[in-house]
Amino acid sequence: MNSVHKSAYWFLAPAIILMIIIFGIPIIMALGLSLTDYSLGNPGANFVGLDNYEKIFTRSSYEKMFGATFRYVLVVVPLTVGLGLGAALLINSITRFGDLYKTIYFLPVMATLMAMAIVWQIMLHPSIGEINRFLQSGCEIGWLKNLLTLSFLGFEKMDTWFGRSCEDGMPNWLGDKDYAIWVVCFIGVWQGFGFNMVLYLAGLTSVSRELYMAAEMDGAKSSWERFRLVTWPALGPTTVFVVTISCIKAFQVFDIVEAFWTRGAGPSKTAYVMMYAIFEKGIKQNLIGIGASITIIFLIFVMMITLVQRYLVEKRVHYS
Amino acid sequence: MNFSIGQTIKHAILILGALIVIAPFYTMVSYSFKSQREIETGADTGFFGSQEVIIDEFCVHRGQPEREEVKDTLELYPEKTERDVYNILLDEVKKNCTKKPVFFNYQSAFTFAPLLRYLLNGVIVTVSIFLIQVIVALPAAYALAKLRFWGRDFAFSLVLFCLLIPVHAIALPLYIMLAKVGLTNTYAALIIPWTISVFGIFLMRQFFMTVPDDLIDAGRMDGMSEFSIIWKVMLPTAIPALLAFAIFSVVAHWNDYFWPRVVITGERNLFTPPIGMREYRADSDGTFYGPIMAVSTVIVTPLIVAFMLAQKRFIEGITLSGMK
Repeated sequence: MNSVHKSAYWFLAPAIILMIIIFGIPIIMALGLSLTDYSLGNPGANFVGLDNYEKIFTRSSYEKMFGATFRYVLVVVPLTVGLGLGAALLINSITRFGDLYKTIYFLPVMATLMAMAIVWQIMLHPSIGEINRFLQSGCEIGWLKNLLTLSFLGFEKMDTWFGRSCEDGMPNWLGDKDYAIWVVCFIGVWQGFGFNMVLYLAGLTSVSRELYMAAEMDGAKSSWERFRLVTWPALGPTTVFVVTISCIKAFQVFDIVEAFWTRGAGPSKTAYVMMYAIFEKGIKQNLIGIGASITIIFLIFVMMITLVQRYLVEKRVHYS
Repeated sequence: MNFSIGQTIKHAILILGALIVIAPFYTMVSYSFKSQREIETGADTGFFGSQEVIIDEFCVHRGQPEREEVKDTLELYPEKTERDVYNILLDEVKKNCTKKPVFFNYQSAFTFAPLLRYLLNGVIVTVSIFLIQVIVALPAAYALAKLRFWGRDFAFSLVLFCLLIPVHAIALPLYIMLAKVGLTNTYAALIIPWTISVFGIFLMRQFFMTVPDDLIDAGRMDGMSEFSIIWKVMLPTAIPALLAFAIFSVVAHWNDYFWPRVVITGERNLFTPPIGMREYRADSDGTFYGPIMAVSTVIVTPLIVAFMLAQKRFIEGITLSGMK
């Protein structure tokens, strides 16, 4: 019935041409440039072999880059996935107001991250920020202080974080290198878990009721048993997808870092994530060779994640 | 009604989570109503603040009495000294510049930098991106789903490959290409990398696969060209999917900060809203919290309101990428 259609080429041509211009050429360019010391505005460039890569894997500032990126990814991915799943399960199991919670948790996904990061920055201000005011007020309420310093368990007040902070003053969240990257992680989790929650809620609707009944008949009485035997395996494909997409998003963190620190990516560069490095080296400092090398390494990471995903999908992660 | 302990605990956890999620939104809107003093002292003046009038220093500065004006007025009141007249005029200006913090904040939001222009840029860029994405993706998706031709599998695998690559990741070579052809600091630069949405092609192809062939054949019988089949037969069936894709695309590009930051370096007239926010926080000590929170509110509100009105569609649209 279907004949060969010449018009198909006309329909595909714009898409193919744009794919080549926007994906093909830049990737090849990045590969080529990563082997040179090119700068925009220079007439030519020298071939430097793998020097750029060597620099990236030996110099301490790039060590910081990998440190910050992996810290962020390794904290944000499990937390956004875990909280997303937790919220979805809770919302799915309550009888009322489920839609309301869903709406609220989804708000940060919609909101302009740049704007919200600036709001967080003001809230995290060491002296006038609401967060430190709130914590400080906890120091003045006796029972709350006892609770948070764990002194009701027999701990010395000064041995706990909260107790020390009450005495020495609350932390300078964004100015202290011990806190900076973790605060960025927190904002990332705040922003991202609602998205995963919605994906999990969609996944949960496909878990069939019969499976639960069958599990119950086989003696899975507690809700934990039901989760372990039915829900979790049935959510396998969703989880693989959610983890992959969370990883790829986490690798791309940039807005929060730029919003918090107008220059420098955090105290002692503790929040020097990869996208920031590409931006700083490649565009601000015009060290295109280095920027291109980081781009290539970045692409390799992203590709690896996707390959693992494809492998898992093919292994048929769902046992249902 | 059913008050089980389990349900109560679940609600308690969910409410705690909701409070943390909402906190910055609450702060943002509340601060956009408050004066600098209220924010700095943290006085408990409720959500809307005390709305105690403040003197707008910028306004006073702008309205400072000119020497000429003082001289003219002096002729009317010869018994007064120049200094007195100046002070009287200044008092008049101050009176006119006295306003409630909420007005000060929102007025400064629009006057301190051309926020309206930024918003307009945001609209121009997001709408153009979406329209071009549809014009490019729909025929391609139709060809991949419904037409048979040599090289189809290859073309589709190309789409699947590009699906792996986040455009932000290849921003540097894209930037160099645009710089080489002299397109940085133009609308074109903001739009070009997003003209092709491989995700859109993939999505529409999956959708078109479900459209029965009979519908297309009927169109062919009526003598429609393949081109008009796309726009007159396929497009109308695809409206729901297209709407979801529109939301996905608009949200992504309205909120995008990284790409405009890369490609708009000096030309302030081309700032999109997220980039425009930088203008309000030149240096850390001089930040006026009220106005910047007003700007944030103005930028965040359109999408949030749209989301509230059409929640189901939004969630559907944003999570499209979860569809298999």
